[in-house]
Amino acid sequence: MILEMSGIQKSFGGLEVLKDISLEVDSGEVVSVIGPSGSGKSTLLRCATFLETIDAGEIRYMGKPAAATGSQGKAVYVSHSELNEVKRYFGLVFQQFNLFPHFSVLRNIMDAPVFVQKRPKEEVHAEAMELLRKMNLENRADAYPCQLSGGQQQRVAIARALALKPSILFFDEPTSALDPELTGEVLKVIRQLAEEKMTMVVVTHEMPFARAVSNRVIFMDRGVIVEQGDPEEVFGNPKQERTVQFLRNYQR
Amino acid sequence: MKKTLAVMLAVLLVPAAIMGCGSNSASGNADAGGAKYVFLEEDLGVESYAIGFRVGDEELAEQVSGAVQALVLDGTYAKIGENYPEIKDYLCLTPEGIDESTLPAKGSGDSSFTFKHGFDLDYPPYSYRQDDGTVGGFDVELCQAVCEYLGWGYEAVPFNWDAKDMELNAKSCDCIWSGFTKEGREDDYTWGITYSNNTQGILVPADSDIKTLADLKGKIVGVQTATSAYDMLEDSQKELADTFSELKVYETYTVAYNDLKAGAIDAIAIDMTAGSFLIADDNK
Amino acid sequence: MSFSTMLYTMGEGMLRTCAIFILTILFSLPLGLVIMFLRRSRFFIVRTITKFYIAVMRGTPLMLQLLMWYFGPYYLFGMNIRGYRFAAIIIGFSMNYAAYFAEIYRGGMETIPQGQYEAAEVLGYGKAQTFFKIILPQVVKAILPSVTNEIITLVKDTSLAFTLAYNEMFSLAKQIAASQTSFVPFVVAGVFYFVANYAVAFTMEFIEKKFDYYK
Repeated sequence: MILEMSGIQKSFGGLEVLKDISLEVDSGEVVSVIGPSGSGKSTLLRCATFLETIDAGEIRYMGKPAAATGSQGKAVYVSHSELNEVKRYFGLVFQQFNLFPHFSVLRNIMDAPVFVQKRPKEEVHAEAMELLRKMNLENRADAYPCQLSGGQQQRVAIARALALKPSILFFDEPTSALDPELTGEVLKVIRQLAEEKMTMVVVTHEMPFARAVSNRVIFMDRGVIVEQGDPEEVFGNPKQERTVQFLRNYQR
Repeated sequence: MKKTLAVMLAVLLVPAAIMGCGSNSASGNADAGGAKYVFLEEDLGVESYAIGFRVGDEELAEQVSGAVQALVLDGTYAKIGENYPEIKDYLCLTPEGIDESTLPAKGSGDSSFTFKHGFDLDYPPYSYRQDDGTVGGFDVELCQAVCEYLGWGYEAVPFNWDAKDMELNAKSCDCIWSGFTKEGREDDYTWGITYSNNTQGILVPADSDIKTLADLKGKIVGVQTATSAYDMLEDSQKELADTFSELKVYETYTVAYNDLKAGAIDAIAIDMTAGSFLIADDNK
Repeated sequence: MSFSTMLYTMGEGMLRTCAIFILTILFSLPLGLVIMFLRRSRFFIVRTITKFYIAVMRGTPLMLQLLMWYFGPYYLFGMNIRGYRFAAIIIGFSMNYAAYFAEIYRGGMETIPQGQYEAAEVLGYGKAQTFFKIILPQVVKAILPSVTNEIITLVKDTSLAFTLAYNEMFSLAKQIAASQTSFVPFVVAGVFYFVANYAVAFTMEFIEKKFDYYK
């Protein structure tokens, strides 16, 4: 198992956003998380990437514990240095890309591997150029984020995440901030990664994409996982009334 | 580059223009013949300039006063006065009546002591920045002579006049000696000898229709803040000041004088020595 | 006094003015950063004290503060303040300008989207690395125009050193104006301030252009 989350609870000021959620992701799996806004799917992703701290529950990456419920029923995180170890297993692509505007495209990709992971510059450079080729952006290496379209920026963000060689890559609504005509180029890249057996969890509103690319679809609503399973099953023959309703609204 | 040039040109032109204006307005008054600015015959009152010490510093005050008297006897006092024509007539100490036996002997002071002379550099001709750019003035020269006589070291402590009491109390200087008026401040300091008198007067353009203090009714009169002239107009001469249409208070007499030249005010209340110094160039 | 003597005398004052200016910039820019961090501290008490400090520094005349810094040690602790004049001026200016810079920095920090911090965190940057590598360069770009304003104000504010009778250029201009009964020293002073500020504006524009490569 790459990621194991169990019994995750999270509330914001008394409002329960995640109610006892469990999620396991195996190597090579592509999991899509769908659901109405406010269902807690983005919060789940932020908890998995430690941008939010969980109130209770357990998180493990590659079998290594990151957080577990302590004796007082509250989640206790491992030490700072151990957490930094665990952080190396995942990458995250944001809805708003969050590229560093003052770095060139190449530096955005190379900076963390070189300065955080302390890897040799030449090696990282070669890998970064390879990633850019894969993103079809090899001629934009010296450009700055402000000179790129949203779709191009998001592809750079994906390359930046991949440069750290994560075992699992999270996407938080990667196409929601893009103009409709630009979503295709980003989804194409994610699809390509899926073919290469990259382990991914994608929070998305792109239903056809989720259906076509994922191995598993999770439907969340009001802080719980309502239904999950094979995409054909969930989309083609949903068992739960709430799933039916959500999908019906979506198709209209 | 063009922009830079234009700006440089503007920078060079501005002072030229201002200086040009200044000389024009000055020559505009030239028809008075000889003196362009004069003091009214009536004055506002007489005051005495003395050396102010921290309250309780009696011994120091006595030593310095004694040394000043010794310099009167040996003629140094009068000789320094010769350098300052505006002051000469107001020096009030004469050898008559000075008992030489009570004075400190030459070189009798503690040679390791440095006397810190606190003064205002904006107050010609008592203490000011001289033509060669160095610090000088009657008070400065006299104080230096006192230190030399007693065998002390001399240290100039030019201060901001508004902060003079803080400087004195915080001991960054040992005295206030800078055309310092005694009247009205008798209890605030331990006073050394009065070495100069001064008269507060009213300065007007020679061709002005103001001839007496009564003519100042309804006129605009300028004065420098924190001066004796200002204090008088606020206190003993308050009734007179109330007849003015406005008493304009300036940071320095330099600005007040330029306002007088430009015709923005009608008269200036100022002591005779500082006033004479102010008008010396224009009355040449 | 000849014009050249006047220029020479005022030239010494210009050097002193420049000394105040340069030392103040040197101390207040980094000090402002420290104050900004204290102002954003997690601890209520630190935050409150810093807020109060900034309020006092911005809410009282600099002239008063200079008097405080110079005479304070004597009146409060009876210390000998001889030879302390220049240090008091630099402390006074630096503490005052640091407060202004701290608020400018804080404003700059608030223009940085939360996503920048999150991206840096996920990529594994430490707190200090995130600040100096990711956040600060963007803050600097955002605040340059306000900093330029503040620096230009400082050039002119140096004249307040006359409060403590430090013979910087404007004090000398006043003294020479008094002894020469002339306005020319003020004109010379004006030209100096203008040229100095033109140089400041020119330099800052150059630096701003350096940051123009991204939006």
